[in-house]
Amino acid sequence: MEQQQHLFKFAPFIKLPKSAKLRSIGVYVAGALFAVGFWTLLDAAVYSRKVNASIVHVTFTDWIPFICSVIGMLIVNSIEKSNLFGNDNSFLNSTGTNTVWAARVILFFGFSLLAGGLSGSFMVFILKYLIKDYGFPTLGMGVANIVCNGCLMLSCIILWISQNIEDEYSYSLAL
Amino acid sequence: MNPLNKIIFLSGFLASGFLLILLSCALYNNWKPIIVIFIFLVAPLPNIIANSIENNRDDFLTFGNDRGNNPTPLEDACKYITGTFVVSGIALPIMLHHTHLIQFGAMVLSITGGLVVYVDIILFIWFFEEDEDDTDELNF
Repeated sequence: MEQQQHLFKFAPFIKLPKSAKLRSIGVYVAGALFAVGFWTLLDAAVYSRKVNASIVHVTFTDWIPFICSVIGMLIVNSIEKSNLFGNDNSFLNSTGTNTVWAARVILFFGFSLLAGGLSGSFMVFILKYLIKDYGFPTLGMGVANIVCNGCLMLSCIILWISQNIEDEYSYSLAL
Repeated sequence: MNPLNKIIFLSGFLASGFLLILLSCALYNNWKPIIVIFIFLVAPLPNIIANSIENNRDDFLTFGNDRGNNPTPLEDACKYITGTFVVSGIALPIMLHHTHLIQFGAMVLSITGGLVVYVDIILFIWFFEEDEDDTDELNF
């Protein structure tokens, strides 16, 4: 039981702090970052509709990276992580190996969607704004896209890390 | 501090929060910031719902709701949604100001009022939860 808790070889050196409060704060911060990302992109969209003087507008294209990131984030954080390490609780579920493989493949899709969202935001920024030499108020809409997807990725990372924080008392009742 | 004083104090606090938000709308004759009230009123709901579900659930094998202080996925998801709502309530007036839909004063008034309303609800839950049992869980 103790052996399988470690993910890395050097687990004692990168020991995560163990506290229920820290975990709560991490989850709250992850949610806050998601909101920051969403409102940044929404701000760019409303700005483009209401204030923008140039002919470039935020269209559905700018939202595609955001949608990819959100789907990726949902997938990554919905996976039960104990499935990944396999054979742990194989006496409870008889279809152990199938679940492990499905979890790995689905998680791979999730991370691909997240990374695709971030690189897609860079692609929209470069192809739609940077390459055409626009000035800054217009360029800001592309920057907002990158900030949004970066925030989503950071939110996912923080959520992942804080879900791996175990409480120090959590094993006191283990059989 | 007896409960009556708490209730009077909290209701006055809540009324001042509503006053700030309504002022931010009425002074500038622009009723867009009124959505902030609804966002901050909804924000504490996920945690309340999660707590009531988790406290009423009997676990298989243990017949208790003591999970060794380890929060369930439902509680985590509700905390996540809470964080999202709180930041949304702050970000909405900023966005409206940035897109020239409301004035700067309206932005400041509605953010302050929204935070007052939210802190008031949290204080209300915290004051009256303290009497029942000593949970030092971090629930915003």
